[in-house]
Amino acid sequence: MTPSDLQALLPHIVVAATAVAVMLVISFYRNQTVSAVLTVAGLFAAAACLPFVWSAEADAVPPLFRVDPFGCFHIGLLLTASVAVTVFSHSYLEKYRMERGEFYILLLLSVLGALVLTVADHFISFFLGLELLSVSLYVMVAYIFTKKRAVEAGVKYLFLAAATSAFLLFGMALIYAELGTMAFPEIAAELGGGDGLRSPYLLAGTVLVVAGAGFKLSVVPFHMWTPDIYQGAPAPVTAFLATVSKACVVVVLLRFLAAFDSDAVPGLYLALTVVACASMLTGNLLALLQDNIKRILAYSSIAHFGYLLVAFVAGGPAGAMAATFYLVTYFAATLVAFGVVAYLSPSDREADTVADYRGLFWSRPGPAALLSLALFSLVGLPLTGGFMGKFFLVGAGAEARLWTLLLVLAVSSAISIYYYLRVVVAMYSSIEDTPQTRELSEPFAATPPYGNTVGAVQALLALGLLVLGLYPQPVLAMIQSVTRTF
Amino acid sequence: MLELLWLIPALPFAGFLVLVLAGNLPRAAAAVVGCASVGLSMLVALGICIQFVNSPPPGDAFTQSIWNWFETAGLSAGVAFHLDALSMVMVMVITGVGFLIHLYSTEYMEDDPGFQRFFAYLNLFVGAMLVLVLADNLVLLLLGWEGVGLCSYLLIGFWYRDSANGRAARKAFVVTRVGDTALLLGLFLLFAELGTLHIQDLLGRASEQWEPGSGVALAAALLLLGGAVGKSAQLPLQTWLPDAMAGPTPVSALIHAATMVTAGVYLIARTNALFELAPAAMLTVAIVGAVTLLAAGFAALVQSDIKRVLAYSTISQLGYMFLALGVGAWSAALFHFMTHALFKALLFLAAGALILSLHHEQNLFRMGGLRKKLPVIFWTFLIGSISLAALPLIGSGFYSKEKILWDVWISPHGGPALWAAGMAGAAITALYTFRMVFLAFFGELRTDVSHRPRGRVAFVLIVLAVLSTIGGGVELPHTFGHVTFFSDFVGTAIETQVALPPGLDAVLWALLAMASLLVVLGTLAAWYLYVKAPGIPERLASSPAGSALHRLWFSGWGFDRVYEALIVIPFRTAARINRRDAIDFIYLATAGLTRALHVVLSETQTGRLRWYALVLTTGTLALILIAFIR
Amino acid sequence: MSAAPYWPFLVYTAMVFILVAGMVIVSSLLGTRHRQRVTGEAYESGMPPTGSARLRLSIKFFLIAILFVIFDLELVFIFAWAISIHELGWPGFWGMLVFVFILAAALVYEWRMGSLDWTERAIERRLGERREAMAKRWKEAEEA
Repeated sequence: MTPSDLQALLPHIVVAATAVAVMLVISFYRNQTVSAVLTVAGLFAAAACLPFVWSAEADAVPPLFRVDPFGCFHIGLLLTASVAVTVFSHSYLEKYRMERGEFYILLLLSVLGALVLTVADHFISFFLGLELLSVSLYVMVAYIFTKKRAVEAGVKYLFLAAATSAFLLFGMALIYAELGTMAFPEIAAELGGGDGLRSPYLLAGTVLVVAGAGFKLSVVPFHMWTPDIYQGAPAPVTAFLATVSKACVVVVLLRFLAAFDSDAVPGLYLALTVVACASMLTGNLLALLQDNIKRILAYSSIAHFGYLLVAFVAGGPAGAMAATFYLVTYFAATLVAFGVVAYLSPSDREADTVADYRGLFWSRPGPAALLSLALFSLVGLPLTGGFMGKFFLVGAGAEARLWTLLLVLAVSSAISIYYYLRVVVAMYSSIEDTPQTRELSEPFAATPPYGNTVGAVQALLALGLLVLGLYPQPVLAMIQSVTRTF
Repeated sequence: MLELLWLIPALPFAGFLVLVLAGNLPRAAAAVVGCASVGLSMLVALGICIQFVNSPPPGDAFTQSIWNWFETAGLSAGVAFHLDALSMVMVMVITGVGFLIHLYSTEYMEDDPGFQRFFAYLNLFVGAMLVLVLADNLVLLLLGWEGVGLCSYLLIGFWYRDSANGRAARKAFVVTRVGDTALLLGLFLLFAELGTLHIQDLLGRASEQWEPGSGVALAAALLLLGGAVGKSAQLPLQTWLPDAMAGPTPVSALIHAATMVTAGVYLIARTNALFELAPAAMLTVAIVGAVTLLAAGFAALVQSDIKRVLAYSTISQLGYMFLALGVGAWSAALFHFMTHALFKALLFLAAGALILSLHHEQNLFRMGGLRKKLPVIFWTFLIGSISLAALPLIGSGFYSKEKILWDVWISPHGGPALWAAGMAGAAITALYTFRMVFLAFFGELRTDVSHRPRGRVAFVLIVLAVLSTIGGGVELPHTFGHVTFFSDFVGTAIETQVALPPGLDAVLWALLAMASLLVVLGTLAAWYLYVKAPGIPERLASSPAGSALHRLWFSGWGFDRVYEALIVIPFRTAARINRRDAIDFIYLATAGLTRALHVVLSETQTGRLRWYALVLTTGTLALILIAFIR
Repeated sequence: MSAAPYWPFLVYTAMVFILVAGMVIVSSLLGTRHRQRVTGEAYESGMPPTGSARLRLSIKFFLIAILFVIFDLELVFIFAWAISIHELGWPGFWGMLVFVFILAAALVYEWRMGSLDWTERAIERRLGERREAMAKRWKEAEEA
């Protein structure tokens, strides 16, 4: 540990220190606003450290971490998303009469886990980061323990995540047994020698590692948990699950798979192709007639990470660039969508059925407009960020001549329009023609007006979504510069 | 100053956004937003114009890249504006006339419940039109083009509670869409052949790669012409314009006279290099123009609705512009565009004021004798009519029409036949114009006047009257005055001009005299037929041949009926027969299959942890298997 | 891909399956099957069972046990550090100091949360305080 190593890991250290600080503050002064403000301050401080990390001499902290510009970019992305989640959580938890401060400790710890994953360059840091993320998430999912669904979701998540952790560990063990190393660069060097992957242990191990990551990304066939947990978890936690906990795994997977050349390991890439196709189709088909918005978004996230896998299969700088840009747009859209759900949810239940949103535009134009924008972006309509994201994915895919994948992508995107627009149509349909919907949207009357921090954060995210769609060049240039190393 | 170019289209769009998003504004506020956005845009345009004329930018053109949407793999899309003399003229007319019409509308529409909506649409229209003329690439041009089409749909059907207006709006949209399709095909062709849609590059590459008279150049030019014909209401796609008079009168003035219909003229002028590579296409343009100007002129002769007379006269005058374009007289076409925008806006606005004063009476035969009652409207309408009829020396229309007729005569692409059509058209124009004037303002009083135009309407009318009188001064014929300010200016953008051979002065004098004589004769004929001996037209119309002709012309040569019989009815019948066809079945089956798959897959989401774990494990094993197969 | 070097692995996998399947199959083959009135009843020393099997234990035992496990496990790290203290030197020392500080912070938290309270009275007092504070906060929130 040299000072420059510490400098490179400053964001992580700041986040960890904030977690301890929040814990100490809670011990003596319990006030959820204080905890939330402290959390946000810590996250901002961590983000403020990024320039120092950038300027650090050594961009790696061998052997466990590799703090390069690519990692830094994602650290910034994750911290931004975490700030949004914190703000949503604050207003969401305000509605519950329970101890709320601990939520922020858990949130900070899982953010720390995610940050570790973004710079992980070694199986040890990979696994530690993943477990830190998961274990905190188990509790966050079940945080509102007075709700049966939340507890059920927590338990399901715990069991399945633990099971896949075992797969992951087994995969790592197989690779270690075969190559004698757990550091990604050394694995790459070993594989560069030639026919290393001919060994079935190695191939099986790699697939198992992909499976462990695939669970977090909720791609088929590891997707079964997604709707239940998305539905059961508190909406801000769902937002976190859908964004932060996936992006960091994407990063680590990109780093890991960079060692595997698609020509050298056709089997692995065939498996990835199958997973991508199955995810795109299954996710979109499952969402088709779904009536619960959180489940719709869960299924749609399955599909979206199927799209994202196209970039993985394409590989190279173009693939990494497309994946990163897609993540950014997906983050903004998803956070806005879950933010609206979190904001509208009354304390006794989640506002998550499509019926809840009928005529929303006429009673609350602000949230309805934001949600529509987010859904349009998820559809990939032009002039929203989602369009550009999909555009670059298709570009990367076309460059790598993945016509099958692109065909599936096009077909399943077409299917997806149906269910997104169903929600939008519901929001803009008039309330008069169905009297019982008034009763349904009654609980919304209790939510505060839309002029608070939540609204500001969501408006900023929505603005970002538009900027990404209208003027993506600066962000694009940045992403291109950080993904050049792939 | 040139750096402010982006403001010109941005301001109207900003006005549109404010009007749409601000909720219910008080009328005064909506009017201020609507007018100020376009007014400021006009001021910016004026400033830019002054600078542009005084110290032209290098290359006589200025390009401003506003926004680079994305750039990847050789494909770049973005917004860039290109300003040269051609677009400068268009911008000045659009913003200037547009602003005056906005101002006029604040009074004209003041009692309308859709006041704010009206101004929002008008602003959007002006913005779209400005994007069209400033566009640096054809994609952006198409965006403006479609935006203009959309606005015309919204504005024609502005009073949507009357279903006839909705039908007129739909008709305009569908008929112009036929042209738009041709335009789109043209763009595809150009992109496929030349690999760029950037207008300047495209024209450069076209003249490098294509031989003059080559088939592909002809195809591209004809497809672009298809788009232009639709938007500019030329034969055979002119049928929408008379019906488009269903919209509020300021809309007719702005969209269907002064600006939108000139988009086709602009398109051809902008891609002139392409047309010059295809002489056959040029000839087609000229013939379309000549035929249209005559056909529309005859139709205008028998209309009873004052707005329809003006609509047909618009088609006819656009025919002149096409004629000029077809013979390569680019600056003459633009000159006529400019004067026409001024006097046609004036005529429409005066007609609008007239209609408003008469309880929405539009029938010419129920007007009459209004000369004394409504002096402002009378005088301004008269000035506009003088310009439209091209009475010698007084109105600006005279100068622009003369320039077209000369250029047709002397241009290598022109010829006596086209020239004769233009001459005949001039006489007819004078006849129907003064028929309108005499019917409405002379003779005995047949209606009562409900109210008179007040400040803003009168102001706008007077300003336009002054402009359409002096507007011709920017270009005076070779034989007297010899001012070539306008054609020199336009010449900086379009190099090829119709060259004036030396030693033709005598011929030109003769042409001038003949044209003037014809116009005067037409005017006198109108006076004789509608003031002196008003029985003659009725007798003519009641004779068997006359009544048939009257019916034919009254229906605009029966195009609507022909289209109805040839296209609409067969299409509808086919659609009815084909209601449940195999292709439908494909879609239904797709939807059914998707639903079925959804149902099947939903069964897997049992909510049982054991089952989830099982799927996860078998899935992993299956993946390992797949990886091993390869 | 030749299977030769991997045969032990395949044999091992086969053995796992055979063993597991064998246990299930053999016991189901050999086991006697009869179903009488009391077959399924719990059986202990010939006495019929009385009372519930669910004993209520104080949560305090569980809490203490959990705390013990946590701190005990953390001792492992300190032990590992202590063994290699010379190799790690001062950086190791500072690292361990941070670690111990975090442990102390966790201890403070547990103490303040009342995890270490044992007597009923202490627990009641702390719970009462917490309830009061919470009620006060809610009242404030509602007023605002």
